[in-house]
Amino acid sequence: MATTEEVTASAPVAFLGIASATPDTLLGQPELLPLDAGEQYRFGFAMDACIGCHSCEVACAEQNDTPIDVAWRRVGELEGGSFPTTRRFNLSMACNHCLEPTCLSGCPTNAYVKLDNGVVRHDADECIGCQYCIWNCPYEVPVFDQKRKIVSKCDMCLPRLEAGQEPACVGACPTHAITVEKVNVASWRADHAAADAPGMPPADISLSTTRISLPADMPPDTAAASDYRVDPEDPHWPLIGLTLLTQLSLGIVAATVATQLVGGPGEGTLAGGAAGGFIAGAVAMVASLLHLGRPTHAFKALRNLRTSWLSREVALFSAFSVASFAYAAVWRSAVRGGVPALGAAVGVVAVVLGVAGVYASGRIYLVPARPVWNSKRTLGAFFATALSIGPLVTLFCIERAQLDGGWIGVLLGASAAGTMVQLAVLAHLVSTVRRRHDRQHRGTATLLLDRFRGLFAARIALAVTGLALSAWALAVPVAGPAAAGRFGTSLVVLVLGEIIGRYLFYVTVVPYGMAANFFEKP
Amino acid sequence: MNGERTASLMQVLGLGTESDVPGYKTDERFGVMGESRHPDRWTKTTCGYCSVGCGMLLGVRGGRAVSVMGDPDHPVNRGRLCPKGLSEHHTIHADGRLTAPLMRREPGGAQIPVSWDEAVDTTVSEFGRILDEHGPESVAVLSTGQLVTEEFYALGKLVRLGFGLKHYDGNTTLCMASAVSGYKRSFGSDGPPGCYDDLAEADCVVLVGANIADNHPLLAPRVLENRDATVIVIDPRVTKTAGLADQHLAIRPRTDITLFNGILKILIEEGLVDREYVGAHTEGFDELVAHVGPYDLDRVAAECGVEADAVRHAALTIGRAERALVAWTMGVNHSVQGTETVTLLNTLCLVTGNVGRPGAAPLSITGQCNAMGTREAGFTASLPGYRAYDNDGDRADLAAIWNLPVDRIPAARGRAYPDIIDGVLDGTVKALWIIATNPPVSFPNRGRLERALSKLDLLVVQDGFSTPTTELADVVLPAAIWGEKDGTFTNSERRVSRVGKAVEPPGQARSDFDIFLAMAAALGQRDEIYPGWQGPEDAFDEWRRVSAGRLCDYSGMTWDRIEAVGGLQWPFPAGTPTSGDTPASGGTARLYTDGRYQTPSGRAKIWCISPEPISDAPNQHFPFMLNTGRTVEHWHTRTKTGRVDILEKLAPEAWVELNPADATRLGVHSGDKVRLVSRRGTVDDITVRVTSVVRPGEIFVPFHYDESCVNRLTLNEFDPISREPNYKQCAVRIEPRDNIGHQTLGVS
Repeated sequence: MATTEEVTASAPVAFLGIASATPDTLLGQPELLPLDAGEQYRFGFAMDACIGCHSCEVACAEQNDTPIDVAWRRVGELEGGSFPTTRRFNLSMACNHCLEPTCLSGCPTNAYVKLDNGVVRHDADECIGCQYCIWNCPYEVPVFDQKRKIVSKCDMCLPRLEAGQEPACVGACPTHAITVEKVNVASWRADHAAADAPGMPPADISLSTTRISLPADMPPDTAAASDYRVDPEDPHWPLIGLTLLTQLSLGIVAATVATQLVGGPGEGTLAGGAAGGFIAGAVAMVASLLHLGRPTHAFKALRNLRTSWLSREVALFSAFSVASFAYAAVWRSAVRGGVPALGAAVGVVAVVLGVAGVYASGRIYLVPARPVWNSKRTLGAFFATALSIGPLVTLFCIERAQLDGGWIGVLLGASAAGTMVQLAVLAHLVSTVRRRHDRQHRGTATLLLDRFRGLFAARIALAVTGLALSAWALAVPVAGPAAAGRFGTSLVVLVLGEIIGRYLFYVTVVPYGMAANFFEKP
Repeated sequence: MNGERTASLMQVLGLGTESDVPGYKTDERFGVMGESRHPDRWTKTTCGYCSVGCGMLLGVRGGRAVSVMGDPDHPVNRGRLCPKGLSEHHTIHADGRLTAPLMRREPGGAQIPVSWDEAVDTTVSEFGRILDEHGPESVAVLSTGQLVTEEFYALGKLVRLGFGLKHYDGNTTLCMASAVSGYKRSFGSDGPPGCYDDLAEADCVVLVGANIADNHPLLAPRVLENRDATVIVIDPRVTKTAGLADQHLAIRPRTDITLFNGILKILIEEGLVDREYVGAHTEGFDELVAHVGPYDLDRVAAECGVEADAVRHAALTIGRAERALVAWTMGVNHSVQGTETVTLLNTLCLVTGNVGRPGAAPLSITGQCNAMGTREAGFTASLPGYRAYDNDGDRADLAAIWNLPVDRIPAARGRAYPDIIDGVLDGTVKALWIIATNPPVSFPNRGRLERALSKLDLLVVQDGFSTPTTELADVVLPAAIWGEKDGTFTNSERRVSRVGKAVEPPGQARSDFDIFLAMAAALGQRDEIYPGWQGPEDAFDEWRRVSAGRLCDYSGMTWDRIEAVGGLQWPFPAGTPTSGDTPASGGTARLYTDGRYQTPSGRAKIWCISPEPISDAPNQHFPFMLNTGRTVEHWHTRTKTGRVDILEKLAPEAWVELNPADATRLGVHSGDKVRLVSRRGTVDDITVRVTSVVRPGEIFVPFHYDESCVNRLTLNEFDPISREPNYKQCAVRIEPRDNIGHQTLGVS
């Protein structure tokens, strides 16, 4: 075998006697080399030495007692060229112990730590099972453990490393394709091209430290054997509830405050809207707890305001809840003779917090690891939801007797504008996923326009119908209870559309991930 | 379940995480291990799957097998294992173990638990009744390559001397019988001449129909480490092993004979024949020169479907190599011309002088962990110790060792496996005893096999697990499996390694050895055929005497010496030193180093071989050529690996590999389900994998899966010499089904 010659020769191995695959050294006890200043440990992978035996995966599972659906190391298959000069390769990957770990920066509880030796360690005790790290990691390395209700991931066999032993995968590899190496952090930051490979997301996202030595003459069409399949993601029903209700809440409160500020219907008539806004937000907060593996530890989510949009979302929505409660309370007291001016001030504070909260909420989804989410569309869609359905609820909460054509027109108009923005966002999404040829956009196109085409059509039809009902209500102004019937129908239609739309938002996103084997989800 | 729910609640409340994080514990020998895998003690043993024969340590805690580690001191694998080996402890406590003898008290009745006495007595008396009524051909035994050598030796004596049955064969006929026959024809005896070190020492490694990366994973590192060697892979498919190759000849199926005749012609014409070796140690070379005359390069290239330059390049590489190793497995053996192809590979080595030197040998890489053991000590294709049925001297030898009259020693081999099945169908064979093999999944043309099994008056099945075969049985004998019994295995390089008992078998299951002892006792013959035997080591001691002076000489071995060195290679006559660092310390690395063969003339025989057409070649109704094989995650019919979660997760179902050009034509995509149809049967709803590793017009399906059993399609055609089935080539068609697979991107 001439082609492997360069592979191990150039590797800055961390273990003496590990990577030099000569029979003499295999029997010897490998010795872990200490790190010099500015260095960390990292994995090395020699693709042309890997025979695709999967021993590393089994050794990892045995060492770390991971449940069957929680794989810390996975071996993907790649293929390129055409018969008879077809080439097949394997990609054995675990955590890449990145220089800029996105799992760590996104984690709301600071459960991830980048240790001095470079290992990105996950602390099970601090994890609340929010799974945001899974979205953030371009490699989809952290895995949610259904039984323990938290995530877990590779720590480079830290307990072994600390004892001077090589990780289980390294020790098990029959061909020494997996190594642990030392790397100078600064020079890797400057040049990390060796972390890129077919079947891997761009290393730029998080600065993966795994050095992959590619075989000579890889066919340019080399791709993952798992690329053929595209599986819907989890719908995350609690998050559908959380996002829709927080946006609804903001929409109601904002519409109520705006109505009040411009001198809307008489005193007391906005109390219902204010209360409705608070209730929607409060229900949202409860719904979000259902998403967590360990809801009783939800308070820990406030720990990483410095870098985690999830922490910020929790903080801002909590503050928004308090402010919208105060606003509702002011309106309650206003009925008994309170001060509307104070109410307006509290309302404005609530709206500012709500806008910030929805913005933070949207930013959660702007992760490079999920390119279709990682777009201003996501923010546009979230605010459009608030605008599309919030004013209608406000309108619904105004006492029927107080309704006049003018107010109906303003609020219906606001809703229609929101709905049109929502349709524009969808149009942009469709044109983008059709235009782009990467697996992630193509995958979303397949899911949205093929697998879920019925739901997608319904989602658009509902928005258009809602819009038409609103237009009808505007075109033929009626006051009082008759009007309520019209925009009530519009509200139901639009809410249904938003629920379906949010469901599709979650299930049709295609994450990067790493090449998997034929029968596994990439 | 309740505990799990409580644990889950604790997690949700945030109270359980800490204690539930898997812990680690330090082992004296292997350092930091998962706490759940940390053993009280290690049992030294040898892997029970394939024939590479990797040394391992089986960890036991509280009477349960909890972990496996590669033996760092074992010369074969130096501490490394494949995924099957690394998870082998899970097989021991897996679901589906047989824990009590079962019997149908009336035909068609349910299998109900019975005592061992009843099961054994019924088996022995029923066999006796059927033999009385229908004669000595009416009861036959099908065994395996999975037992320890001590058990094979005991079983052979029980079947042939105790019961006096004529027909006894094993599933080894399904995998390496052609290698045996081929070695016998070329060299006068079975016995692979080379060893694994040859893979590392050769300057040219030729792998023919051998996908070692998937099927003998721990041999692949030897090839990878040998950076000076040119690796030539000859396989119709771009296997994982083809990825190790410097030259890959993707020849059309069954054109190997044409290819090697062509290569021999080039070697002769280019003066790359070792005339000295040929003259001193072979016979038949002149006929070969005449025979390969018509195999012009252009004709060979056209028939094989490869470039002429590539054939010539390969021939010159082999011819110019100082040390060439030719290794093969089932791509060669699984053919109606398997034996002949083996002799041709032997010839290639003989004419280039590549036998009996480091890095130079024709090496059959065997299939099962102890196929070699049954070849040596069994009583099937040969008498124990590679003795010939038709050799009076050999029979007299055995009679003397066993204190039996010479007429008790059989003078002829019985029917081979496929002929036993034919015997059932034609009514000759009325009762079968099947041991540790699963014919419905592994034997070709399943429909015909199932018709045969349904015709039996009595089916006795002995196995560790419930299988499609045990489900058909009238009597089920629950056996101990690997990890639960003692003995030895012989690997592909003639290395005898110890297999250790780590835990007790479950329930009433007994070692195969003890079952044989009980059968002999019920027959009233235990003292005669197993004189003084209490355990398998007694059988080993007798076997050492039987093998003394034979090619497979064990007489210098003891269990302790084997264990101390990590395996000894036969021949290992009494007096062989094992201490020190000499090459001799592990036994005999290579056979025929002196150029003397086991033939009457002492010369190796060169055979002239001509290719025959494929009988079930593709046509317009069945346009695809089906090739079958294996994948690294599974072993045989998945009776064990199908019960290991992590292996099942990696390869959960069968698939059919289809070239993109064919997929486009059929309008199918990766992930779609199709039906495969041959003249003999169908496989429904098998998942398509569109891949360029197969040639247009050829497809590949792994054979491991009962659920998508490719042996419903395969051909019941057999090598006339070895009786090995032709699993590798038959005609099928593909019928697309509704797309019920995964959503696909609409691309391959």
